[in-house]
Amino acid sequence: MLKSMLALGKMQFNQYNIYKSNFYLFTLNRIVEIVVYIFVWQAIYNQTGNAGEYTIEQMITYYCLVFTLSSLSLWGVNEDMAHSIRNGNINKELLNPLSYFQYYFGVNIGEMGFALVVGMATFIICSLLWSITLPVSFINFLLFIIVILLGIPITFFFTMLVGTVGFYSSSIWGMQILRKSIISIFSGIIAPITLFPMWFQNIANILPFKELIYTPINIWLGQITINEIAFIIMKQVIWIVILYMLAKLFFNHAVKKVTINGG
Amino acid sequence: MTKIFDNISLYLSFLKASLKEMLIYRFDCIVGMISQIVTQLVEIIFIWIVFQNTDNLAGWNFMQILLLYGVTLISIGISDFCFDALYDIGPKYIRNGEFDKILLRPVHPLISIIGSSKEFTSLGYFGLGLFLTIIMLIKLSIPITIILILKIIFFSIVGAAIIGAINTIFSIASFWTYRSNEVIWSFYRMYTFAQYPLDIYNKFIRILITVILPFAFVAYYPTMNYLGMDSNMIYIAPIIMIILWVIAIKIWNFALKKYRSTGT
Repeated sequence: MLKSMLALGKMQFNQYNIYKSNFYLFTLNRIVEIVVYIFVWQAIYNQTGNAGEYTIEQMITYYCLVFTLSSLSLWGVNEDMAHSIRNGNINKELLNPLSYFQYYFGVNIGEMGFALVVGMATFIICSLLWSITLPVSFINFLLFIIVILLGIPITFFFTMLVGTVGFYSSSIWGMQILRKSIISIFSGIIAPITLFPMWFQNIANILPFKELIYTPINIWLGQITINEIAFIIMKQVIWIVILYMLAKLFFNHAVKKVTINGG
Repeated sequence: MTKIFDNISLYLSFLKASLKEMLIYRFDCIVGMISQIVTQLVEIIFIWIVFQNTDNLAGWNFMQILLLYGVTLISIGISDFCFDALYDIGPKYIRNGEFDKILLRPVHPLISIIGSSKEFTSLGYFGLGLFLTIIMLIKLSIPITIILILKIIFFSIVGAAIIGAINTIFSIASFWTYRSNEVIWSFYRMYTFAQYPLDIYNKFIRILITVILPFAFVAYYPTMNYLGMDSNMIYIAPIIMIILWVIAIKIWNFALKKYRSTGT
């Protein structure tokens, strides 16, 4: 099972990699997006001597890491799902010896693999352009990795939840943008969560998206104590279970309704 | 000269056909428009956060930045609506051989392709841009005169044409890579640089968006004119638009000569 999932992942990865230009362009895209944020914060820092609650180096590191990690939480298999529902490929996918979830988790591995490669390239270029602070300790770096890895199933099950809407409506595209927007706001992609109003922070503390970007970066920057991290990992595990059950329930309900347009 | 007018009138009839199509896919269109607005709201939240931390950004206050943002969105909306099909040249036309059919038509292939644009969802950008612009003009108590309205209409169209020309220039990448979308997108995204005062950037980026990819003339200099910060740069915009289109058409014709079908 694991082997075939990895094979699927490799296929998806190679699909991106056929065109080497993809890699350069995706990386360029990341850099273009970072530039605006960094210059805006530098301007704020120069005017007020303050960049949020961070030093300017920390803020620059924050955004460089945001765009190193953001593809991991924003990309996903929604388009592939919608596509195969529309052209009838879903037939084959449902009859696979792998379950539907396993199949797409495999595809998702490839997606994440490519996101990781682009992310690493982004990080390397950023570290050449700006001075980035390194993780405060090796333990923090390890915990940073663990929290990110635990984020992958969270993103995946959330994607499946959104993708299942495709069984009911043919325009999944709008839902996808909504998913990305929710993640962008609540994960801290656009700005550190602490800069938002209190009521917003309370919502973000409950939702699992903060742990995709904001929390790991703050672990890197050494702003979170080890005790808090234990609590965070527990929260992540609970959310993985909740999202898995929700996605599975919704899918089991939807798959009964599936109507296939020829194919 | 008549050839140019023929092409433009043909383009307009293409556009009319697209508008009719929009009425068929009404639901998809509304979902698309809402999601476009949502993505923009995310960016506006960032601007709001910025002004929680400072009261001005290189001398621009919150409402002035939002006006700049709105004016940009108007042009983006128009250009997405008119030139969206450029993204399809690689994946939809060249890779699967559609392009050969288009070459056989008695129209310039660029018109055929651009004419098939139907990104109705960009009306979400346009609507939000218009809304922001009007609200901010009122809040900044800038008198909305007929002259100002005409100026905004004219320079929004010029701005859209500038973006369209830049996208057209980069779309020729699809003749070699068979995938124009990512190439265009990467450079197109740099318009976001010009949604903030140029003074916050270093020299490299300032030159990049005023000279190399003149996105600053899409909305930044026009907005400075509306705000009374700078009155002359705006009038360079139409000249830049013409230069860019001449380059774009020349480059396209050159690429057409080099074009080889994929044989699909």
